[in-house]
Amino acid sequence: MFDLLRGLAIIVAVSLAGGWLHAHGAPIPGGVLGLLLFYGAMVTGVLKLRWVDRAANLLLRHMVLLFVPLTVGLIEIGPVLSRQAVAIVVSLIVSFLAVLLTTGLLARWLLRPVETRATETAEVSR
Amino acid sequence: MKYLSFLLSNPLCSLVLTVVCYGLAVKLHQRWRWIPPIVVACLPIAALLLVAHQPYAVYNRGGSLLTWCLGPATVALAVPMYRNGLVLRSSLPRLALIVFIGVVVAMATAGGTAWLLGAPFPVVMSTVPKSVTTPIAIEVCRQLHGIPQLTIALVVLAGVFGATFGPFLLGLFGVWEDRAVGVAMGISSHGIGTASLVRRSEMQATVSSWAMAATGVFTSLLGALLSVFLR
Repeated sequence: MFDLLRGLAIIVAVSLAGGWLHAHGAPIPGGVLGLLLFYGAMVTGVLKLRWVDRAANLLLRHMVLLFVPLTVGLIEIGPVLSRQAVAIVVSLIVSFLAVLLTTGLLARWLLRPVETRATETAEVSR
Repeated sequence: MKYLSFLLSNPLCSLVLTVVCYGLAVKLHQRWRWIPPIVVACLPIAALLLVAHQPYAVYNRGGSLLTWCLGPATVALAVPMYRNGLVLRSSLPRLALIVFIGVVVAMATAGGTAWLLGAPFPVVMSTVPKSVTTPIAIEVCRQLHGIPQLTIALVVLAGVFGATFGPFLLGLFGVWEDRAVGVAMGISSHGIGTASLVRRSEMQATVSSWAMAATGVFTSLLGALLSVFLR
């Protein structure tokens, strides 16, 4: 229990710090600034992973709960959206396929096993 | 009817109602995997609001507390990113390059297609962050003056598409390798896609979870840049 509360306190503090920086002119959203600060603090060892592990898992596991209220707000903009439905759905499908396949194929090429890369270099040098 | 209005307008009651609906949605999701919890959790609340003729703002007095917690949830994403980054250390630069290119493609194709099809400006901007994990997508959408509710709907749909068809489509194009599947799923379908990989392969889920957080960071950096140009 203490573990969880300590973790939550740290995460909320970092999140508030990110929000404060954003309010004072940083152009990146507060949550992402907090994420970067938090990541940096773990890399440099200022924060230990075990202090925040449980609290972070709790927040991430139940993240869906946190965006329920915003999503319910769709009932207010429903009529506006139904007029744009075609543009929205087509854009979603086109973009989804483009991203999935570009990154998948790019990754297949960039992350190919080291042995094949070694043979390729050997062939080139020959 | 009077009780119904009270239930929705009292912040504590509407908070409890939201948590209960979420709990039920999670139970249903455990039984039938293909039902996205976000849809099931929202439907009863939306129906109650419509039946009781209560405006959304009344319900949202309790709900805004949960919305506030999205900030800390975004910060918490650093934990899986750090933990998985340790495992992937040697391929991180190449993974980061793939994520960066993926983010550019995602933002350009989503916004571009919507714009070409004649959607109004706020709708175009709402499609731009659609492949990012929800809390970050909302922040980017707000910064671009989009409609956060629409962005959430698109994010959830992108996630469900990926979880359902992603690995199959990648397989059609000969992409089988664990890290390649993981990174493509994390970039295109964020947390919902990542969750669907957990039962397939640990390596896929690890890469996907790292890629999802990196996608969020890159998208918000490019989003900030874009918002400067739009001003």
